[in-house]
Amino acid sequence: MDYLALGFMDVLNPVTMFWVAAGVTIGYVLGAIPGLGKATGVAVSIPLTFYLQPVAALGMLIGIAKGSAAGSAVSAILLNTPGEPSSAPTALDGYPLARQGKAQKALKMGLFASVIGDFFSTVILIVLAAPLAHYALLIGPVELAAILLFSLTFIGGLSGGSMLKGLIAAAFGIFFATIGLEGETFIPRMTFGLLELDDGISLVPMAIGMLAVAEMFIQAGELKRLDVETEAISKGSNPGDNVVTRAEWRRCAPVIARGTLVGSLIGILPGLGASVGSFLSYGMTQRLSKTPEKFGTGMIEGVAAAESADNAVVPSSLVPLFALGIPGSVIAAILIAAFILHGLTPGPLMFQQQPRLVADVYAAMLFASVVMLVIGYTCQSLFAKIIRVPMRLIIPGVLLLCCVGAYMETSSIFSIYVMLFFALFGYLARKLDFSFVTFLIGFVIGPKLEFSFRQSIQLLDHNAVNLLHHPIAIVFLVLTVATLWWIGRWKRPQMPSAPGERGPAPRTDIASDHKGGS
Amino acid sequence: MRRANVLSGMVLTAFSLIMLFVVIPWQIDPAPAGMISTRLVPNMMMIAIAVMSVILVVTNLKSAGGADGPSPITLADLRMVLRIGGLFVVTIVLYLLTGPLPAGFALVAGGLLALGERRPLPLIAMPALLLTALWLLFYKVLGTAIV
Repeated sequence: MDYLALGFMDVLNPVTMFWVAAGVTIGYVLGAIPGLGKATGVAVSIPLTFYLQPVAALGMLIGIAKGSAAGSAVSAILLNTPGEPSSAPTALDGYPLARQGKAQKALKMGLFASVIGDFFSTVILIVLAAPLAHYALLIGPVELAAILLFSLTFIGGLSGGSMLKGLIAAAFGIFFATIGLEGETFIPRMTFGLLELDDGISLVPMAIGMLAVAEMFIQAGELKRLDVETEAISKGSNPGDNVVTRAEWRRCAPVIARGTLVGSLIGILPGLGASVGSFLSYGMTQRLSKTPEKFGTGMIEGVAAAESADNAVVPSSLVPLFALGIPGSVIAAILIAAFILHGLTPGPLMFQQQPRLVADVYAAMLFASVVMLVIGYTCQSLFAKIIRVPMRLIIPGVLLLCCVGAYMETSSIFSIYVMLFFALFGYLARKLDFSFVTFLIGFVIGPKLEFSFRQSIQLLDHNAVNLLHHPIAIVFLVLTVATLWWIGRWKRPQMPSAPGERGPAPRTDIASDHKGGS
Repeated sequence: MRRANVLSGMVLTAFSLIMLFVVIPWQIDPAPAGMISTRLVPNMMMIAIAVMSVILVVTNLKSAGGADGPSPITLADLRMVLRIGGLFVVTIVLYLLTGPLPAGFALVAGGLLALGERRPLPLIAMPALLLTALWLLFYKVLGTAIV
């Protein structure tokens, strides 16, 4: 606690406050632009921090990560194009709300839920990071493989209109993750002699292609209808639709609390990530609702559930990083480089060796949460105006930003090719209702899943009976089977799919499209 | 959608079988003796996709009684994809032949034209504004050149 007070003293000076605020602002803008998420933002900004003091530099980068997580809801709500996969469930209800002329209401609830989730998750990080180091050690490769398999099955089953297609998409994601040099033997896998593929397919151009470019393809095909709808929105707005009412707060408060808890827990578990958290929170809220059939048509609780969990994942995903030195998410992996660069080596020893710098980071994180609220609230009307711009003017600009974002990742035209390949892949996936979100999650956790699976085979001595020595793994494997059985039997009333998969207009007939089909 | 499910299931089955029996053995060398196969996970995924695709085909064929909805991909959709795809081809060629500035200009202005914008002001101002903003962001604010 004493160190935390010192941390606030270090952070609350004009220079550091400026850079944290700059980080949050940059992050918010990058998050709001489809395809330029926190990973790209932080990666691109690391060189900018070379000349900053460690506290200011780390505060700025954390600010970018936090601001981007909140900002990605803006494009999800206004354009049905999640800035990042984790904001996909936000679009399920946020976009219909925007189409009903309630964009500002959705944006405000998204912001409040983001800030609350983020702030309390940061508190959880501060309270739990050091003590959890001991217990986190119990999660070995066998348990991790089982947890990852469970989460992938769960998401695959829930995120699309069809469990079967969701699982196929997940399998494809894992398959594409195996491309490149194999980690143990360094044997190239499906590189077709291309040196660019030795390191595997880069996530950023792939995600930009699947999420942003594919979405632009779809939006371009529905231009006339979208312009008519955009016109209708600007005419249909009224002042009552721009605020979050007390009744809505009462309905959303428990949802945000649950989302924060779910997001924090998912963040703590390595490898699961924000998408799992936001989808899980959204799914739970839908199931616990008295009117689950209304989800996907503009329920404010959907936005609150997804955003609180999404933003809660970011701080808590640093728990495994701080406690064990293991990145629990993509952003944690990128932040490792920045932490080391500025003299803080993530791991259990940092609490003993550099308690002051750790406290500075904590203070910067809490301060960034407050800044996020201020920036988000004051700039909201500006962001909401995006939706009034005709899509034919937005699409070319987004395509340009997508190209720049993909190119920046490797400074190679090959990234553009990757982006375009996965744009086509994502376009077909959306049109044919194969969950691209599950694909991306499969791709992101694929390497970890494969690695832990291979380790498990060796640890279990190629004998499944030895699994009996790993009760946590057994629990998750049983949960996986139970999830498959439950989702397979569950007759979804009107299961919402990820945005884009059902087109930009709110529709609730996905399940009927697949009646008996899959 | 049922027809699309059957077709996509058949394509995926064929794809996974080709991957399983042709591409994976061709593109992934066997692991050294005593090590876990490097083909293990790719093979597992392709087997899983093949099995699930067959189930997708069978379940959709079984329930093919009632009327099917419209095709999820229309000719107009395909035309738009081809149009934007062509725009990307032109952009890449321009990038390789000239550099990022003409390519970026072509992408935005060409995109506007392809999407039906005919007013001269947006056609000129939008690419100019966007490229200037990007230049400011990357070269001046972030200090990272796009090379």
